[in-house]
Amino acid sequence: MITGGKSFVSSPPAFSNDAKRLLVCTGNTVSIFSTSTGLQISELEGHGAPVTSVIVVPASTPASKVLCHCWTASLDGKIKFWDFTAPELMRTIDVRLPIHSMVIPNLLNQPTKSNGKSPNLFAYIYVEVVKQKEGQPNSSCGQIRKCNLTQSRLAGGVNLAETHKPGCITISPSGKYIGICEAHKLRIWEIPTKDSDNAVYKKIRLHHTKTFTTLAFHPTERVVAAGDVTGRILLWRGVGHRTFSTGDKFINGGLNKDAEERPGVRGDDDADSCTTWHWHSVEVNVLFFSSDGAYLFSGGREGVFVVWQLDTGKKKFLPRIGSPLLYFTNSSDPSLSSISCANNRIHLLRMPSMEILRSISGIKLPSSVSDIYEGSGSGVFFDHTAGLVAVPTDNYSVQFYSLFNDCEISEVQICERNHQPGDEATVKVNLVALSRDGSTMGTVETRVPEERIGGLASLKFWACGSQNKDFSLSTVIYEPHRDAGVSSIAFHPTCPMAVTSSYGGDFKIWVRTPDTRLKDQMLQSSGWRCHAVGSYKKKPMTAAAFSADGSVLAVAAENVITLWDPEQNILVAVVGDVLEPITTLSFVGKSAYLVSASPGSNPQLTLWSMSKLSTSWSYKLNAEDVSCSLDGSTFAILALLPKTSESVEPAEGTLQGVDGAILLFNVENPVPLATWFVSKAQGGKLGFIQTSPKLEDEFADVKPDHGLLAYMNSDYEYVLFDPYGEKDHNQSITREQNLSNLEEKEKIGYASIYGELAEFSVEKDQTQIPYIPYEKNWETIFSGPSHKLAPLTKLCLDFLESSLERRSVTVE
Amino acid sequence: MAEDESRISIAKTFPVKPKLRPTSNKATPTPESKYWKSFKIPKDIETIPSKSFIYPITSIAFSPIAPHDFAATHSANITIFSGKTLEPKSTIASAFADSATSAAFRCDGKLLAAGDLTGTVHVFDAKSRTHLRRLKGHASAARLVRYPRADDKFHLFSGGDDSVVKYWDVTTETCLFDLLGHKDYVRCGDASPVSDDMFASGSYDHKVRIWDIRVSNSGSVMELNHEKPVESVLYLPSGGLIATAGGNFVKIWDVIGGGKLLYSMESHNKTVTSLCVGKIGKESGEEAQQYRILSVSLDGYMKVFDYAKFKITHSMRFPNPLLSVGFSPDCSTRVIGTSNGTFYIGRRKVNVQSDDLADVVGLGAVEVEPERRVLRPTYFRYFHRGQNTKPAEGDYLITRPKKLKFAEHDKFLKKFRHKEALVAALSGKNPENVVAVMEELVARKKLLKCVSNLDGEELGLLLGFLQKYSTMPRYAGFLMRLTDKVVETRAEDIGSSDQLRGIIRNLRRDVEEEIRIQQSMQEIQGIISPMLRIAARR
Repeated sequence: MITGGKSFVSSPPAFSNDAKRLLVCTGNTVSIFSTSTGLQISELEGHGAPVTSVIVVPASTPASKVLCHCWTASLDGKIKFWDFTAPELMRTIDVRLPIHSMVIPNLLNQPTKSNGKSPNLFAYIYVEVVKQKEGQPNSSCGQIRKCNLTQSRLAGGVNLAETHKPGCITISPSGKYIGICEAHKLRIWEIPTKDSDNAVYKKIRLHHTKTFTTLAFHPTERVVAAGDVTGRILLWRGVGHRTFSTGDKFINGGLNKDAEERPGVRGDDDADSCTTWHWHSVEVNVLFFSSDGAYLFSGGREGVFVVWQLDTGKKKFLPRIGSPLLYFTNSSDPSLSSISCANNRIHLLRMPSMEILRSISGIKLPSSVSDIYEGSGSGVFFDHTAGLVAVPTDNYSVQFYSLFNDCEISEVQICERNHQPGDEATVKVNLVALSRDGSTMGTVETRVPEERIGGLASLKFWACGSQNKDFSLSTVIYEPHRDAGVSSIAFHPTCPMAVTSSYGGDFKIWVRTPDTRLKDQMLQSSGWRCHAVGSYKKKPMTAAAFSADGSVLAVAAENVITLWDPEQNILVAVVGDVLEPITTLSFVGKSAYLVSASPGSNPQLTLWSMSKLSTSWSYKLNAEDVSCSLDGSTFAILALLPKTSESVEPAEGTLQGVDGAILLFNVENPVPLATWFVSKAQGGKLGFIQTSPKLEDEFADVKPDHGLLAYMNSDYEYVLFDPYGEKDHNQSITREQNLSNLEEKEKIGYASIYGELAEFSVEKDQTQIPYIPYEKNWETIFSGPSHKLAPLTKLCLDFLESSLERRSVTVE
Repeated sequence: MAEDESRISIAKTFPVKPKLRPTSNKATPTPESKYWKSFKIPKDIETIPSKSFIYPITSIAFSPIAPHDFAATHSANITIFSGKTLEPKSTIASAFADSATSAAFRCDGKLLAAGDLTGTVHVFDAKSRTHLRRLKGHASAARLVRYPRADDKFHLFSGGDDSVVKYWDVTTETCLFDLLGHKDYVRCGDASPVSDDMFASGSYDHKVRIWDIRVSNSGSVMELNHEKPVESVLYLPSGGLIATAGGNFVKIWDVIGGGKLLYSMESHNKTVTSLCVGKIGKESGEEAQQYRILSVSLDGYMKVFDYAKFKITHSMRFPNPLLSVGFSPDCSTRVIGTSNGTFYIGRRKVNVQSDDLADVVGLGAVEVEPERRVLRPTYFRYFHRGQNTKPAEGDYLITRPKKLKFAEHDKFLKKFRHKEALVAALSGKNPENVVAVMEELVARKKLLKCVSNLDGEELGLLLGFLQKYSTMPRYAGFLMRLTDKVVETRAEDIGSSDQLRGIIRNLRRDVEEEIRIQQSMQEIQGIISPMLRIAARR
């Protein structure tokens, strides 16, 4: 079983102490990437739920820099301690509450005492607590708890705060303060230097009229910055002079300052002054002070990284990152930091110059605003042969993602338009299809009209240049079906032919005109042109599919299925009548069966026999997606479970969030061969994937005509498994380990400036010189050309030896 | 700074582009059709000579000697044109009792022969127009007169409507042989370019006969069946092939190979009247110095036929039925005569100066240009190569990254100054760009906001644009709706300005016109669609 497609940006990443590795929370695991190559090195597996925090134990002494320990916290309520070089799990603490965020303040200045007994280490965790109140359904709230990591238990009774929803705890770089944003206020606590189970906390609150989104602490001074949803950055100076103890015992006069002398500070907030910077147009997600405290970094939805000079408010920009920024992380190397973007990319940044060194990129996450297009689907398409999935992305491109290797292959820009991350998506690539051999891609992009002006659908055909899935545009067809939207696109399995169906009541068959190279003329580009147009009683055409040999084209005209001869464009037959419009049509492999799915209030999944032109069997199932094996006679459906379903109850009550099931059918038998329960099935996709030849040895027992089944949920997390194998067998499928261990050796000194010196052996010269010892050789020893003389060391020895008289008898 | 930005930016920047338009398949004409199109009526001829003739031009003959004067027969006249100026030089009018036919120059260009409808063949001095000989013998109209093409200066042959081909000794005005065999009018013929003794004649009995006067008493050497009344026969320059025209066809025959039909070109729609050999007189190119067949027909087309590849390489249409065609041996002039007396004279522009210069310095050129040494990295000059130096074959090319050009509206769009972008596009002249900017604004959901923000002058600009282009089919779908919205939202502004009201009036007129067109189109469609349906049923 291969899983992948995890989000890299669900929580902030962390750098290792030597800044050579980046620890990224990816679902239930922590993936470790090399910062020099951007490739994955290893993985920490062990958590049973998404990991929410990863904290690298900082090195207090230069010697301990080699130590690679980290703490992770997860929604499964466990805190784990790892050595991530090995990688090896060292300790587990179970707090039995879903942890949304964890900070460990004293990690940095943890004094190691001479007697070897270190004080207790405390972590502050933001947990989700389910409260049972009478007369109310269980309501969850967030609580900040304290956990004694040394003794592996929660510090009893300590509950710093209780909020409506668990969020993120921010810690100051010195580890002295922690804070959270809660609606219109910031709550900040001072952590005592000698923390114990029952320490007393000093706390302050800062207020604002807008909802806060993020907060940051200055590394040295008492300055707090916070961003709000409107894009303002608030900067409080002298925070907590009244409340918090000052190190120098000097209680300054801030105590007595009245409101006029504290400009911008609201009410009775404990701060000297508050200034507001407003550059961001939408909410600020990232705030971070540079390690020297001179600069403030900020970023938000609009995808521009801003560096503020703290004293003057001057700005520098890194524009056009192309996606909302989520987190900023710095490393021990002052020149290296990372920013996480919402499109599942982590950019490694060389800091003073703000240059992107490299990017770690995962599968592009689905756009949040995709429901403005009715019934057009998510556009995810599985490439059966290559084991790829084509995912339309926010910035009008299609990303090809390898399912086997869990990495990005390429990205094709479908629509040449500048993407503004903050804007509402009005142009979208909503259909993608690849021909069976992967050489041609068809895409449909739609522009939403503004008050009925200027809506446009364009169909594009792309030709694959080389094997690396870099497609070049072959043909553009504007408004392929006049004003009507395109409901589906399908390719002929063997010849260059495609069909698009539209809600406007017609479908068109497109063929590629062959290359014609005329003499003395430029190569006439081979384009796609319309071969035939068909319609059936002006009904909206909702789905289309070619049979396995391409001889039959099935087009769903709302409730009925029309069968056509694609070459002649002749209506062959009309079958069936279902209650709801059919949205998915698929021929089952090479068998004479057609499966159709129609969701809606009267959902139906129907198998049609093509030989009898009648229903074979049908279910009342809300099938989200249907996928058929290429050769065999099986097909899999992704069915959404009804909300209040008693009949299909999850086998174990512990399965949370299960809302769908994958059912595997054989055409002969209406009883499913196998069933799996899945979560986030709404908008999910299924696809049969051919076992790639590289993996053939691993799947020695898998029959070649049976592919693997890929399931991708609405968050584009996918799982790849063998649908015919037994349960335990699933484990045998392991990912092709392409984890690269090669870390670039860091160059120092001379090599870092001039590169490696060429290797040369010193001995080579000496061995080639003929050297004959001779009794009385001092006469001849210096004769001959100088370049033929033996080296001086030898000559000297010989010379001295020859000039000395040898004792004939050795004394015993 | 710009370079800096492009280096670190991750998201690419795209300028707003208009929609692509389909490109026609024959965007680039072939070099050959370019060549044939380059025959144009020269500008320096003030009076078009054709104006003076009203009778059909029955034949055109070029003199084989430079400057290649040409003679045309029309009515009872022969007009000789100067090959240099293309002006009519002289006219022989008095000699003919009836319409003149089939002018032919002798191989040295000094004599000119022509037949007439009484059956007489006349021989003139081409220069002085002196009537030298009258060859009488044909019982009816002599439609074919030809001199042998190689170097025989004493004989000619003629064919007449009495279906006899006669071989004459010109000096004595005697007919040496009567070549019998044709069963109908002999209307055309040609002498072999390689042999003085062979010639072909075509007749309305559908046959082309090839004669050899060395074996004259045994009838024709070969007989080709064209299957239509033969209008023109042409020996191709090799002497091994014959092209015949008749009916709508031009056929190519292999004479050496026993009279085999090689190809039948059937692209004319009416009777092909005349053929001649054309030559691509270019110095370079793949087709340089190749021969073509020019055929003219009553359908008004002149076609250029490549008889090596059996392909029509060029086709040209003229407004009149074409009767005769001629092509000068130096490839500079092409003359076509029509049934109403009009000439289409085309002359190709040749760089005369450069030719002259080449002649003058032709001898000295060798020493003037010393061979330049090949540059090698060891030479000093190697490092002084300029930017214009072409890369050698093995060089590794590093292309400079292309700089994106941003139009003014792009710059505004980049800064989210939407109204300025729209105005900038509108003040530009290209409607495609305007529509592209509008579409981009729609994608940003800002178009209507822009429209409502336009001030009076800018609104006038927009309305002017809409008035001009909203009825154009390419933009109509988009602009009509926009016009609707603009008029709706800015009604009071329009009402308060005279100028805007004027534009709206024009717009209204255009829209009404468009509606009228649409209605008549629909009527036509109503008429056609039942017919199509019936046709489809069959």
